[in-house]
Amino acid sequence: MERLSLKYGVLGLLKGEPLHGYEVKNRFEAMLGGTWEVNIGQIYTTLQRLERDGLVRPVGPRGDRGKLVYELAPEGQKALDQWLAQPDSGPQQLHEDIYVKLLLATRIANGDLHTLLSRQKRAYLQRLRDLNRLEERARRDGRVDLTRLVRGALLHTEADLKWMDELSSERFGTEGAATE
Amino acid sequence: MDGRTLFRAFRDGGGGNGMSELVRLTGVTKVYQGGITGALNGMSVTVERGEFTAIMGPSGSGKSTMLNLVAGLDRPTSGTIAVGGTDLAKFSEAGLARFRRDHIGFVFQFFHLLPNLTALENVLIPAQLKGNPAPERARSLIDQLGITEIADRYPARLSGGQQQRVAIARALINSPTLLLADEPTGALDTHSGEQVMELLGQLHRDGQTILLVTHDAKLATRHAARVISVMDGKIVDDARLESPERAPSEVIRVRGEETSR
Repeated sequence: MERLSLKYGVLGLLKGEPLHGYEVKNRFEAMLGGTWEVNIGQIYTTLQRLERDGLVRPVGPRGDRGKLVYELAPEGQKALDQWLAQPDSGPQQLHEDIYVKLLLATRIANGDLHTLLSRQKRAYLQRLRDLNRLEERARRDGRVDLTRLVRGALLHTEADLKWMDELSSERFGTEGAATE
Repeated sequence: MDGRTLFRAFRDGGGGNGMSELVRLTGVTKVYQGGITGALNGMSVTVERGEFTAIMGPSGSGKSTMLNLVAGLDRPTSGTIAVGGTDLAKFSEAGLARFRRDHIGFVFQFFHLLPNLTALENVLIPAQLKGNPAPERARSLIDQLGITEIADRYPARLSGGQQQRVAIARALINSPTLLLADEPTGALDTHSGEQVMELLGQLHRDGQTILLVTHDAKLATRHAARVISVMDGKIVDDARLESPERAPSEVIRVRGEETSR
């Protein structure tokens, strides 16, 4: 499995200057502010695939693997530009378990979702607190990229919380869930 | 009853350096004639000295009513409200007014500054009502809140954020035991709202007890470590949040879309 944005992240970083594997890893992690850790194996695999597909090419002689420096190939430049220009569309990604838990709970908890919702709400409040504190640190340290990511995460969590509130004020009858 | 002697005990913090109770609501109800909105339905809660507590809930849930009762702006239908160990029901109307003047700072959503007075003059009103005009304290508050340059301007010439800072300075002029804020960022743009909340956070770090009514959980959890959720005039949750130092990856995980290749 490969992460699409890791592939293009690597291409994007190579656009600035030729880099070897460890530099790519370090810069990628630094850019993401520590919110996405990759192992060096993933980086090498990605670089090899990109080389195979003609999107990057090694600079200089092939010597010690770790020291092999890659640069962006013209094809890679084209692929990167296309990816950057394309908005993220497609289906909304809902990764967390709460979505399924909630639907199941409406069926088996006899409509009483209060406990589930209030616990989840607390978890979201704690998340907001953690995000706020992270944002404070990121701002203080002048980490612009991380600050932007945290702002996005804060707004997402705020929306999740609003959803909990909306559900809390809804009346859950058994009939609504069972008939679908 | 005389506010000064009554409140000496809690003004001095009760002698302990740990947390001590400042506000206690016991079975408080408030019934409004002709409507149910904002009514309280049996509310019991305590607030500790030095706490920054956010009260959240949908409009009409009773959160502002709760704040007004604690401020002594209104009286409950039943139940007791004690501030600093004193039952507010013991106060006459005049006593309640003194209690508000001496012990409560109130910040409103729409600032409520007097338009024909300058910023500085607005800040000084509560001190003058107390017979203790405190121009030096007003100046130092104004400096602390970053509004030195606009002290001699009239409210009409101030931005929303500046007006709210003036209102906060006014709320603090008599060194209130309790600062109450009802949607203080509700009429402000995001940036000004954050600045106002930052000020409240700073006041809290300096030891101010704050009760904040807000619908903005994002801003509330920035400084308040306790979030009380109110619905239909009742407290439905009382969350005390933790404040550990967490690594970025423990707080956010960014992942790209998976692709099989």
